[in-house]
Amino acid sequence: MQVDMQTITDILHNYPAQQRYSLAMLQDMQRHFNYIPREGMEALAEYLDCPLSSLYAMATFYKALSLKPKGRHIIKLCDGTACHIRGSVNLVGGVERLLGIQAGETSADGQFSLELVNCLGSCALAPVMVVDDTYYGKVTMERLPEILGQYREEGQP
Amino acid sequence: MSKTVLVCCGTGCLANGSKKVAGAFRQLLAGTDHQVECVVKETGCNGFCENGPLVQILPDDITYYKVQVQDVGEIVEKTILAGAPVERLLYKNDAGQRVRSQQENPFYAPQMKVALRNIGKIEPSSVEDYMAHGGYRALKKALTMTGEEIVRELEASGLRGRGGAGFPTGTKWRSAMELERFPKYVACNGDEGDPGAFMDRSILEGDPHSVLEGMAICALAIRAEEGFLYIRDEYGLAVHNVQEAIAQAEARGILGEHILGSDRRLKLSVVRGGGAFVCGESTALMASVEGRVGEPRAKYIRSVQRGLWDCPTVLNNVETLANVPVILEHGGAEFAKLGTERSKGTKVFALVGKVKRTGLVEVPMGATLRHLIYDIGGGVKGNRPFKAVQTGGPSGGCIPADMLDLPVDFDTLKARGAMMGSGGMIVMDDRSCMVEVARYYIKFLSEESCGKCTPCREGLRHMLAILTDICEGRGQESDLELLEQLCDTLEDASLCALGKSAPNPVRTTLKYFRDEYEAHIKEHRCPAGVCTALTRFVINPDKCVGCGACQRACPAGVISGSGKKVPRVIDNTRCIVCGSCREACRFDAVEAKGRAGL
Amino acid sequence: MNITINGKTCTCEKGEFLLEVARRNGIPIPTLCHHPALAGQGSCRVCLVEVDEGRGPKIVVSCVYPIQRECTVETDSERVRRERGMVLALLRKRAPESRRIAGMCRLYGAPELPRLTPADTGKCILCGLCTRACTELSVGAISTVNRGVLKEIATPYHEPSTVCVGCGACANVCPTEAIPLTETAETRTIWGKTFQLVRCASCGRILGTREELELAAKRCGQEPETLCERCRKAATAQILADVYGD
Repeated sequence: MQVDMQTITDILHNYPAQQRYSLAMLQDMQRHFNYIPREGMEALAEYLDCPLSSLYAMATFYKALSLKPKGRHIIKLCDGTACHIRGSVNLVGGVERLLGIQAGETSADGQFSLELVNCLGSCALAPVMVVDDTYYGKVTMERLPEILGQYREEGQP
Repeated sequence: MSKTVLVCCGTGCLANGSKKVAGAFRQLLAGTDHQVECVVKETGCNGFCENGPLVQILPDDITYYKVQVQDVGEIVEKTILAGAPVERLLYKNDAGQRVRSQQENPFYAPQMKVALRNIGKIEPSSVEDYMAHGGYRALKKALTMTGEEIVRELEASGLRGRGGAGFPTGTKWRSAMELERFPKYVACNGDEGDPGAFMDRSILEGDPHSVLEGMAICALAIRAEEGFLYIRDEYGLAVHNVQEAIAQAEARGILGEHILGSDRRLKLSVVRGGGAFVCGESTALMASVEGRVGEPRAKYIRSVQRGLWDCPTVLNNVETLANVPVILEHGGAEFAKLGTERSKGTKVFALVGKVKRTGLVEVPMGATLRHLIYDIGGGVKGNRPFKAVQTGGPSGGCIPADMLDLPVDFDTLKARGAMMGSGGMIVMDDRSCMVEVARYYIKFLSEESCGKCTPCREGLRHMLAILTDICEGRGQESDLELLEQLCDTLEDASLCALGKSAPNPVRTTLKYFRDEYEAHIKEHRCPAGVCTALTRFVINPDKCVGCGACQRACPAGVISGSGKKVPRVIDNTRCIVCGSCREACRFDAVEAKGRAGL
Repeated sequence: MNITINGKTCTCEKGEFLLEVARRNGIPIPTLCHHPALAGQGSCRVCLVEVDEGRGPKIVVSCVYPIQRECTVETDSERVRRERGMVLALLRKRAPESRRIAGMCRLYGAPELPRLTPADTGKCILCGLCTRACTELSVGAISTVNRGVLKEIATPYHEPSTVCVGCGACANVCPTEAIPLTETAETRTIWGKTFQLVRCASCGRILGTREELELAAKRCGQEPETLCERCRKAATAQILADVYGD
């Protein structure tokens, strides 16, 4: 995959070259590329003049960061306590069956990534599912095909 | 005549389309030449998310629930122009009457809003709106006070940290104030990670200036000039609103180089969290702000002395800070009139799970669990039997029915092995398996442990394996003793609070629901019908009326039978034990049995 | 200031770490992740002891516990033995191949805990001392990777490091000999990378890897060493003798 080095440089130069901004820079790369490309990790190490290993430790420690490319649409299924006791486990199975991927995986066509996340703070709407930035509350098995369908069509050839 | 339309745009209401509702109001009200002047405001979370989107009309004091775009025309015509309510959108109370005001709604009536005082009434980031509701008056007052005077008010208020530990805020501020090492920092812990708690999110989203004001007052007291708000990355709207609020406060000269025109300065900035529960722990949070892996350090020296970049740092929770302006304005003594002997003020709870009315509620400290769950929450959903309430997130515990009359404050629940914690309150009924709940929390913690110290990293791994074994029918009788042994080691030998309090969910369930563990181990049966490896659903032919609801709900299509009054039958060899049939049945005919005999 | 450890009065400074005071007074406390050059790790928890500052005994980790006030300390109470035994037992499950851990388990009477499944292989107890050594003394080639139960020690992307100089500081500080370091007559292999060894131009003893010597030279702004310490001293002595005569 081609990574645009200019974008990486632009992201880095939004911040002073100080360690305290490293997490923010990694997050910006994550947001832009849907993962942190190796080129970005190496450019950041050079920019901050710090070992690559310390950034690698961060990128693997924080859950918001990923070193593997993610799908165009990111589905976050909440498995917080409130969602859990209201049956989020069944939804996970349902989405897994519909997309043919397991939680933590990305579909072969690069459309969807499925993530099981901790509480999203919308417990009153449990169980909750978030696709990209849109929240869906009180999700049921019946509603799954319809919700996912909206994203499937979008941008498909 | 002027009116205000307040459209709740908290995350819950947004999910139900409140943005479109607000847009529809604006469009309709702008379109024609009305005699009524009307302002439409998008507010923060009203806390009753389940019934969103909420729309409140002032000064009529009418609140509508579950408002959709197609309802807007009618509201404009009847309520805004004619002052009459749209009956069908009003809340129906327990007696079946429609009520107009929030004050008549049983969810809101018993509440007392201090930390949440402005939320739902103002536009979250608007500095003008905040000031119109009395905002930044306390900061102005603080500028005329010495650090000592400010800290005295805090001490007199008895305010204790709302993040869970309950450390006295005034004491913390005093330690920082008395140190003569500079620079000093103020920090706000908005890394709300407890599953089932979302009060900090609501405050940051709905009233960010109250937190900024609290931080500014702290900065004046301890002489700090820089501060950070560490906010979970998942809370996109909160990050946005706080950043906007900082920008507006700086533009108005309230924060920044000259606090309200004085020679004191404060630079505040937002740090987005990286997605790690352990970063709610103070030293891990600080490591993360510094741009490192969020691993805690030993806290034998408190972070108030050695905090950010080893400098004196006051770190307070969001809700704690939101209380500070109120204390400064009305005096610590006034605040201390609320609550109990050792827990002053109010507390915001996230009342969720299997309860009829779910949402955010703020009540004086010392309210009983029963008051919260039954009076405000309306009792258990579907009138099922109450089994337990889980308080305090993964560091808390499960409290059984015979303790419902305990007052909720910092110390009472702690003495019972649970804790009030950050205020998460998850109600569980007879269909919640307490062993599975314990397994759930230990799994959560094993994924969120930073992995630095041996007891937490290794202990949680083995505890999870044992609990999974029990849930799947491989439990051994000696397991319970071994679990208790591991609990002791985690509590005694772990490095930080995450590890030290990790045993609480296991300990409390072992203590209060030991019979459920024993049923799993000795009888290979999950009494709640949750653990799929130990459960078989059977339809009781005496109770089944043949309505077929279970058949329609069954995703596997393994329920046979047709015709009214003909009992349905589940093919247990093909059943996936998802429980959809049991949820769908209104006659309690689907019963959970053990797998024995299959 | 005086504190009492196992009934013995010990003099100490305020702020001194409890472990140091105990050891200075000949009271043994077992440690794994403690290294005098890299203090404050505090991750293995083996050195835990019981401290009473007047408010009842509590378990603390002695290597990072700064003494603030007078107290009594027990390094071998029943509770300490029990919790230390559990910590060691957990470490044995993590590093079943470590002979040092097995030995300590025997010595301190750690329970067997046959119910718990050990990790498949390995000697690493994930104490993180190696990453500290690498970052603070060398180049930062390795770090902890992942978190919680999935934590491990590795180079970035699990590939041979581009910056590693093969100094072996990580292997030297490792309490359980968990980092494989192999040497032939000419080479040293560590973290999947093989380095050329440089020998003393005079006596032929191993000086280190070429990269290691170059890094050291660069840091003090000199040419890389070609002689070992003994031969260098001998050469200096010879020069002095030549100048001043004997």
